[in-house]
Amino acid sequence: MSRVGKFAILGALVVLAVSAGTTGAARQDHRGGTLKLLAKAAGGTLDPQVNYTLQYWQLYQAAYDGLLAFTKAGGEAAFTVVPDLAESLPQPTNGGKTWVFKLRKGIKFSNGQPVTVNDVVASLRRIFKVKSPTSGGFYSGIVGAKACLAKPAGCTLKGGVSADAKKNTVTINLVAPDPELKYKLAVPHATILPANSPTSDAGTKPLPGTGAYYFASYNPNKQLVMKRNPYFKQWSKAAQPAGYPDQITQSFGLTVEAQITAIENGQADWTLEAPPADRLNEMGTKYASQTHVETLTAFWYAPMNTNLAPFNNVKARQAVNFAIDRNALVKIFGGPKLAAPSCQVLPPGFPGHVDYCPYTKNPGATWSAPDVAKAKQLVKASGTAGQKVAVVSQDDEVNKAVAVYLQSVLNQIGYKASVKPMSANLFFTYAQNTKNKVQINVQQWYQDYPAASDFLNILFGCDSFHPGSDSSINIAGFCDKKIDAQMKHALRTALEDEPAANKEWAKIDKQVTDAAPMATLFTPKHIDFVSKRVGNFTFSKQFYWLVSQSWVQ
Amino acid sequence: MLRFLGRRLVAMVFVLFSISVLSFLIFFATPGVDPASRIAGRNADQATLRAVRKDFGLDRPLPVQYGLMMKKLFITRDLTSFVNRGAKVIPQVTEAAPVTLSLVLGAAVIWVVFSIGMGLVAAVFRGTPVDAAVMIVGLIGISMPVFWLGEVVNLLTQSRFHDTFLFSWVPPLGYTPFTQSPFGWFKSLIFPWLTLSVLYIGIYARVLRSALVDAQEEDYVRTARAKGLTERRVMLRHALRTSLVAFVSLFGLDFGALVGGGALLTEVVFGLHGVGKLTFDSLQNLDLPVILATVMYAAFFIVLANALVDLVYALLDPRVRHA
Repeated sequence: MSRVGKFAILGALVVLAVSAGTTGAARQDHRGGTLKLLAKAAGGTLDPQVNYTLQYWQLYQAAYDGLLAFTKAGGEAAFTVVPDLAESLPQPTNGGKTWVFKLRKGIKFSNGQPVTVNDVVASLRRIFKVKSPTSGGFYSGIVGAKACLAKPAGCTLKGGVSADAKKNTVTINLVAPDPELKYKLAVPHATILPANSPTSDAGTKPLPGTGAYYFASYNPNKQLVMKRNPYFKQWSKAAQPAGYPDQITQSFGLTVEAQITAIENGQADWTLEAPPADRLNEMGTKYASQTHVETLTAFWYAPMNTNLAPFNNVKARQAVNFAIDRNALVKIFGGPKLAAPSCQVLPPGFPGHVDYCPYTKNPGATWSAPDVAKAKQLVKASGTAGQKVAVVSQDDEVNKAVAVYLQSVLNQIGYKASVKPMSANLFFTYAQNTKNKVQINVQQWYQDYPAASDFLNILFGCDSFHPGSDSSINIAGFCDKKIDAQMKHALRTALEDEPAANKEWAKIDKQVTDAAPMATLFTPKHIDFVSKRVGNFTFSKQFYWLVSQSWVQ
Repeated sequence: MLRFLGRRLVAMVFVLFSISVLSFLIFFATPGVDPASRIAGRNADQATLRAVRKDFGLDRPLPVQYGLMMKKLFITRDLTSFVNRGAKVIPQVTEAAPVTLSLVLGAAVIWVVFSIGMGLVAAVFRGTPVDAAVMIVGLIGISMPVFWLGEVVNLLTQSRFHDTFLFSWVPPLGYTPFTQSPFGWFKSLIFPWLTLSVLYIGIYARVLRSALVDAQEEDYVRTARAKGLTERRVMLRHALRTSLVAFVSLFGLDFGALVGGGALLTEVVFGLHGVGKLTFDSLQNLDLPVILATVMYAAFFIVLANALVDLVYALLDPRVRHA
């Protein structure tokens, strides 16, 4: 960050502090009440180290803490990692392989137990014991993790994680330097829980946390209730701010239509679900002040199986990219207010993003119009014309409409295309398994943390491709040794020089886009529809709406 | 009689067993259904995937898995969901059952009263415009799909006219337990009751009308008339009573199916956490333990209702007992 930047932020902070001083009393008045959230169904286990849904990650922000945390602030400020249970964000030593965290004193769990270094060590071990989905992805770089992955029950992370009770510090040793460790320690899977927490998925039984709220009850068929943590005292506004409502509930079971109506009636305050297209009009007009539209760091894309005809031919893949009218897809998604055309992997506003679009009428930075003539030419040159292609997608309205659109494009450029919609719950794993021979499908990817590798390396890296497995997130089966080596290099560069690494990622983004293992469709936006009484709506780019920072009275 | 009961019991166990095996096999025959990677989570490591598969016993042969699941469902009664892990399946069903019972019982009262009324009126005024009008109304009721009707009711009561004096008393969608507030229970269920009963009123009114019309031609009705009884007495005491036999057996089956989860669409539309909704959610999530529990529960009620109907027949007609 430049000097000027620092001063600008300092200035803004002063202004903020002054305004907070004058409106502090008024803000106190907003404390209290129950914030009523709605969702179609529960999000599965409530264990913060196991659950991997945005639905609960959003709620965990106010209930759990890790050593580090993403800033609880609106917009891109939320991408900044700040110390949470740790006193400060340490500089790694030993060539980036050793991180020493000093724990804050005086913080208690919602059951009254004080937080100690033992809890930290136990929690990091617990990631492996409960077989957290990211245990192999995010935390495999810790010394001893390999053994823990192979035998989760006896996980000790020997040599990887150790505590010094006297100095109140925890040391994490890595096999190799990892510039993204700070992000990985700030997501809910690295939550610090009491050392005596069960060593298997706690399921529907809430675990005590350190946040401003605790989970009081959870019935996946009815409701989830969060209440104020009686032991909470704010230690860092950026990491874990105190909240406004006394209670936050999330009720399950209403259809999306009924949820929107309930919010309009003031019977509930927010819905997790994307509103159906036929309600957008009334929301945009009659309830405009209650509707918040935010851009997301995500993308909709159509992975093409690079190991299966016809898309094992790069020309065929590029042809699809040229032929797609992104504006038509934006329209399907709800119009330009809700999505923007895109050709590349990294979404706008994301580290490493540089506008790039080779697949348009006049190739350059941005997409303007499809080039069907060029597409047809490419299909001809590839010699794949006339082949059968099945577009697989989820069976909800929007995904199916996108698939049907892709079908028309494929037919237009000379293939014999069909659509295979399937249950949303089956689709994601089905599309990943090479045994199912999926040629092209419709996917979405939302960032876990703000690093280019979370898109490029995870979705198109050789390490993410596992033939014959249901868990093979590199759905295109794309493995280019040269690009993969560059990704590894960029990861190393990031250790010392993040801006330089981001420049490398921008180049990689271009190369992946050129190789076209997927057709990027568009960048989606996110709609939050809240009731009239909800105030102080703050949208973090990292974990979306900061639920506890809104008031209801 | 005892032998008849015993035979029915054996048949019932056999039917339940077949249904459980069938739903278990259908589940595993579905392409891409393997629950391991959904349990393990997005982008899980291959080692994690293997560990989860082992934890949940998904690496064992299917008959063993079936046996273990049935043991957990019926003997240890601690079967838990694949999706909402830690949530025991049996309490979910027992919590949902009162909601479904409330819905179905209330609707049944409404549909029995209205369909008998309409059937009688149509039979008494047979051949007149009144008969035609009542039967057309019944036909309209049968033709309206319950999920559509429910959404329209919601549109009127919750959205378009929610703020008017007509419907401002309608509570938000969902269920209020009777024990918590009897009046709240009534208010939250009155529209679901009406919605669910419309279809059955139509069907039952038509069934009853045709049975009554047939009965008019029977000897005992002629005899009753010959005795000089009033037309009302003939209709209510003689014709209606016998005509209700078909009505009652139909009712037994429908009621059993609805209690077993057949009121699914009504429950989903009105946000009632009943057995139907539970079945619907578990099917959407492909949550095998809950699917099995709800399917067994539904099958139990349907088989039970069937057995009761047979029993009634057997009591009425000795030929059935010896068949």
